[in-house]
Amino acid sequence: MSSLKERRAEFARYKQDVKERGKPFYPHAMFHDTIMALVVVAVIIGLTCIWYFTTSEEPGDAGLLGPRYAEKADPGTISFVPRPDWYFYFLFYLLRIFKWPESVILGTVGIPTILVLLLIALPFVDRRMERRLSRRPIAVIAAALVVASMAVLTWKGATAKENVASEALAEVPQWIEKNKLPAEAEPGAELFAGSGCLNCHVYLGGGAQALGAPDLTDAGAKNRGVEWQIEHLKCPACVNPGSPMPGFAALGDDQLRELAIFLEASKGPGGG
Amino acid sequence: MGAPYRRRHARRRQAEAAMLAPVNWVEERSGLVGGIRYFLFRNVPSDISWAQTLGSAALTAFIVQAVTGVILAMYYKPDPDKAYESIQFITNELTWGWLVRGMHRWGASVFIILLFLHMGRVFLFGAYKYPRELNWLIGVGLLALGMLEGFTGYLLPWDQTSYWATVVGINIQASGPFVGPFLANVLRGGAEIGSETLARFYAIHMLLIPGGLIGLIGLHLYLVMRLGVTSPPWSRKAAGRKRDPEAETRRQGLVEPRSRRGWRSGR
Repeated sequence: MSSLKERRAEFARYKQDVKERGKPFYPHAMFHDTIMALVVVAVIIGLTCIWYFTTSEEPGDAGLLGPRYAEKADPGTISFVPRPDWYFYFLFYLLRIFKWPESVILGTVGIPTILVLLLIALPFVDRRMERRLSRRPIAVIAAALVVASMAVLTWKGATAKENVASEALAEVPQWIEKNKLPAEAEPGAELFAGSGCLNCHVYLGGGAQALGAPDLTDAGAKNRGVEWQIEHLKCPACVNPGSPMPGFAALGDDQLRELAIFLEASKGPGGG
Repeated sequence: MGAPYRRRHARRRQAEAAMLAPVNWVEERSGLVGGIRYFLFRNVPSDISWAQTLGSAALTAFIVQAVTGVILAMYYKPDPDKAYESIQFITNELTWGWLVRGMHRWGASVFIILLFLHMGRVFLFGAYKYPRELNWLIGVGLLALGMLEGFTGYLLPWDQTSYWATVVGINIQASGPFVGPFLANVLRGGAEIGSETLARFYAIHMLLIPGGLIGLIGLHLYLVMRLGVTSPPWSRKAAGRKRDPEAETRRQGLVEPRSRRGWRSGR
């Protein structure tokens, strides 16, 4: 750590250097800045053109860079993939690593808070005046690790497997066999497979574990009852404080009951 | 010969004075012209490079967002019954609407990328060190606000993707300790995501956060001007290292011609 006196002297020397041997911002630096500004605008327009001219007015027509828009928002559906904009992918994917309910709060709130605190603390922790990279091994390694992990998490988040309803529906007979589901659980099982549940949850190894959602293979193992399951589906956070799962009251009582029967009947392989 | 020239000369002087009059008027009452002159003609280190243009590149992307955002606000309707249709109208029917919306959409990504690149450059150059700590903190604030802009803007098209991403995003917010549920309720404006939520996100996205961003950008630039642009860490001048005066002289003699000042002072 360099003393404040040293750092002040260093800055005074910098000011002196710039005054004596610097060059005026205009036109020298301004020239670079202007070219860069033109490049930025050109890239934005280029992306826009690729996006627009490879898509049609049809909702969901992805083209090269993604659709112009998806279907209109419909709170009544549940077959959706909760997917943020790409710069949140690293957080989005991070949530697959943490398991509900023990550590998911670490992923949702803990990690982002820690990242911001680290950024805030940086200039107060690193108070040496050394700026050459060869003399700052810790900073260089830390930067490389952060960049690499953010890149990997973003990539994983971008390529995360999405659940395909038709494939999941084909699994239902196996579920019935493996989990020894009773006949009355079958409509619920089909609803579960055909809707978006497996976009976050896992059932008998199928589906994607996203946002810290638990494995539902043995969702009924605690014998909490069909009524509890319905209440939970209607408003997860009311029953399970802190749950990020959306409520599905919009499904209607009949479908909710079917789903609840299926979930309550799921006691894990071998049945209950 | 002489008279017409003198007349022309006098006319030109008059024209110049007339053109400068408003400038002088403003300068006398505000000092702004002097400020701009200082901004343009202040010295920067002679070895700054393309790496130091990332900040102004991010500013460019922000200006693109501001301009396209104002145009979008003229046609967008923040109402769950009309938002999706107005987005479709802007994209498919409005003259140049696709360009404006596309630039806003992709400009957002470019802005975020440039914020990260700029932050990386500042980190690698050690430009967050004394006396620029405060400007680093302002930069962290800008990054956070920029990402919040992304989060709030994502809902506005009101399609399935944006709706459900926001449902989960707000639920995550609600899972936070202490103020988490309260903040989530404020964002949602009720128990369900609906017209209240959309109106709130719209107001936050186009008034609250942009206001904060503009204020912080102003402060950020003021501090850059006041403290100066950092030279690259490999710079031989003002590189931020302790110097051994003798080694310095040796090196100067070896790899670069002695400065004229050096000759004169008989070094």
